[in-house]
Amino acid sequence: MNRRDFHRLGSVVLGSLVKLAVAVPAAAFLLTPLRKSRKSATSSEFERLANLSQLEVGVPQSFAIVRDITDAWVKYPKEPVGSVWLVRQPDGVDPPVIAFTAECPHLGCAINLNPDGGGFFCPCHSSAFDAEGKPRNHVPPRPMDRLEVELTADDDPQVVVRFQRFQPLAEEKIPLA
Amino acid sequence: MRNSIADWLDDRAGLRAATRSVGNETMPGGARWMYVSGAALASIFLIQAFTGLMMMTAYSPSSSTAWGSVYYIEYEMWMGWFIRGLHHFGAQTLMVLLLLHFLQVLWAGAYRAPRELNWWIGLALAGLILAFSHTGYQLPWDQKGYWATKVVTNIMGGAPVAGPYVKTVVVGGSEYGNQTVTRFYGLHVGILPVLMFLGLAAHVALRRRHGFTPPETEYVVKPKGPRQTYWPDQTYRNLLVVTAILGVMIALTVHHGGAPLDAPADPSSADYPARPEWFFRFLFQMLKYFPGRLEWVGSIAIPGALFLTMAALPILDRKLPSRLVHFLACGLIFVLAGGAGFLTLQSFQEDAANPKFQEARAQADLARERALFLASSPKVGVPPEGAGYLMRRDPLTRGRAILEKRCLVCHRFDGVGEKEWSAADLKNFGTKAWVRGLLEKPDSDDYFGKSPECDGMVEWKQASKLTAEELDQVADFVAGFAKIPEDFTVDEWLDQPGVYDHPGNKLFQKDCGTCHVIPGYTEGGLRDAPDLFGWGSPQWMARMIRRPDSPVLYGYLGDDQRMPASPRDELTEGDLKMVIRYLMNDYPLPADEAAPEKTTP
Repeated sequence: MNRRDFHRLGSVVLGSLVKLAVAVPAAAFLLTPLRKSRKSATSSEFERLANLSQLEVGVPQSFAIVRDITDAWVKYPKEPVGSVWLVRQPDGVDPPVIAFTAECPHLGCAINLNPDGGGFFCPCHSSAFDAEGKPRNHVPPRPMDRLEVELTADDDPQVVVRFQRFQPLAEEKIPLA
Repeated sequence: MRNSIADWLDDRAGLRAATRSVGNETMPGGARWMYVSGAALASIFLIQAFTGLMMMTAYSPSSSTAWGSVYYIEYEMWMGWFIRGLHHFGAQTLMVLLLLHFLQVLWAGAYRAPRELNWWIGLALAGLILAFSHTGYQLPWDQKGYWATKVVTNIMGGAPVAGPYVKTVVVGGSEYGNQTVTRFYGLHVGILPVLMFLGLAAHVALRRRHGFTPPETEYVVKPKGPRQTYWPDQTYRNLLVVTAILGVMIALTVHHGGAPLDAPADPSSADYPARPEWFFRFLFQMLKYFPGRLEWVGSIAIPGALFLTMAALPILDRKLPSRLVHFLACGLIFVLAGGAGFLTLQSFQEDAANPKFQEARAQADLARERALFLASSPKVGVPPEGAGYLMRRDPLTRGRAILEKRCLVCHRFDGVGEKEWSAADLKNFGTKAWVRGLLEKPDSDDYFGKSPECDGMVEWKQASKLTAEELDQVADFVAGFAKIPEDFTVDEWLDQPGVYDHPGNKLFQKDCGTCHVIPGYTEGGLRDAPDLFGWGSPQWMARMIRRPDSPVLYGYLGDDQRMPASPRDELTEGDLKMVIRYLMNDYPLPADEAAPEKTTP
């Protein structure tokens, strides 16, 4: 190897070294959101939404999910993060209350009641569901997502729900971490 | 396949010819270490631009969000401390390289024809780098950046005639706030970079047009050895130096664990010792020698005159003997550089020998640690209203400050207060230990020893026959008052388990209740004394602070015997809460939680 070849090799090696020393940390910096956050671990608890006596059998009612949230560096106390449709079932039917997340399984818009009566309707791309949450047209990839519901042991039981998000567009219900 | 794409691109864009013409530039006298300084400066600038772009993806420019987003970059994001640290130390490296490059070009006399234009462009680029430094320093909106900006913009405002207008435009109004941050941000990441890249492109293009000049003594000597070209002979040297410089920057970043972040900007803090970065210390020190009225002479006129002198060199070179101008210019710069070095040392020495500065800096460091802890604490975090409220809603910071200002004029806290105090020590007020101490020795200076108008407890102590064990029980009972909820009645409280059957209950009724009335529970009547229902609770303390003259408290005392009231126009509701929470030791401490995790290797 002559002097010039050595300079050529040195330039390439050192140039790559400098670029890597900056580019690798920069890539990690940009990929921060992929890192598992240690703060979101506690968000999968059951939340009280309503008393059972507040609900009418067969009439869906909407309730907001309110949580303390950490948005990057800011801590918001009690912010609405989503909403849930609760439908009380006739006595003796199990489960006594069905909870649907209002997030559409299609592309995540908020599902509303069908303005023409009966079932649900998403205003974004016209996903339609019946009162049981089953698709009424071909737009949604799966039925409305049901959430885990429990009743407390009080005299007037309270409805507690575990709010979760699921992957949109999938045909299976896949919880998002 | 790869070649055919490359050929197609080359055919359309002519890239190969362009890079070849750059790379094949002949180096007169061979490649040299001396030619490195400009390339190193440009390379570190590119690293600044790149790390800056990275941080733009996470930084949020407003007075309420800036600190929080920088905190997030530095302490939460992956390698954020590394990127920000490189940017921080890169800025300082640029200053050093800029000075070296300037000295070298001046020494080589490269302002002479035909390089006048490039000399001027270089001076303008130097001005831009200074502007980068000033605008970037302020962006975290921490104490350091806030006060430094205030000083620098006030220096601008001190200039004759246009000064105040320039300052108002730069600051974005008469107050420092959102507009200051957005304007400085716009300058730092938009306007200055565009000017810088245009200037740099021209600077490099002109440098190539004029070529390198070997030192004068070798002008006539034919270059020896093989013909050397820019690529790879000079690039190798450039990159070796750049690698070494970057190595130093990385070492500094790792050693310091990133870049510093002070407590959030607090315009009300009275003792923040603002200092500029070390490379502006000489200016800072020089200002001390000017009377305030003539500040602008030291900060604007002298540097401005120096800058103009440098800009005039190409012209002077033609009018006066060339060698004389060169000698004088170099002499001037070296004398000034020596003077600046001396002032810098002097400034650091003065600070090192100044106990007041040391103390203020120690305070600022405590505030910084507290702010970083609060931001990282899962119980607290940066509030939506902005990082400024992080400290304003911290009982340990705000509550203590209010207590020291308003209460420690008469009271003491853990033995701290005025020399001549006249009221009780409030440390652990409301706890069993405090009550037990009072019951043991009410005339102690920590209790009512300094306030003879409150002699009821002293009188009681002289007559009381309670044993030590019984006093313990009373103290335990009374300390429980602090936990009575605000909306409880006396009956509801007595119905709570563990209240009526508490061993202290009977003793309290018999020994304390003869003076201390609690309607529906004790009769009182022997002497005037405050109602102790809820004593030590936030609601009791709030009433005591707001209305000590209330009939259920010390209404029976004369106005000049009683603690002065703190109405709402003197003490806000928020500050009242802070004082009470501070007295109740109701604030998070790092020892209660795991230390803030930092993603250092």
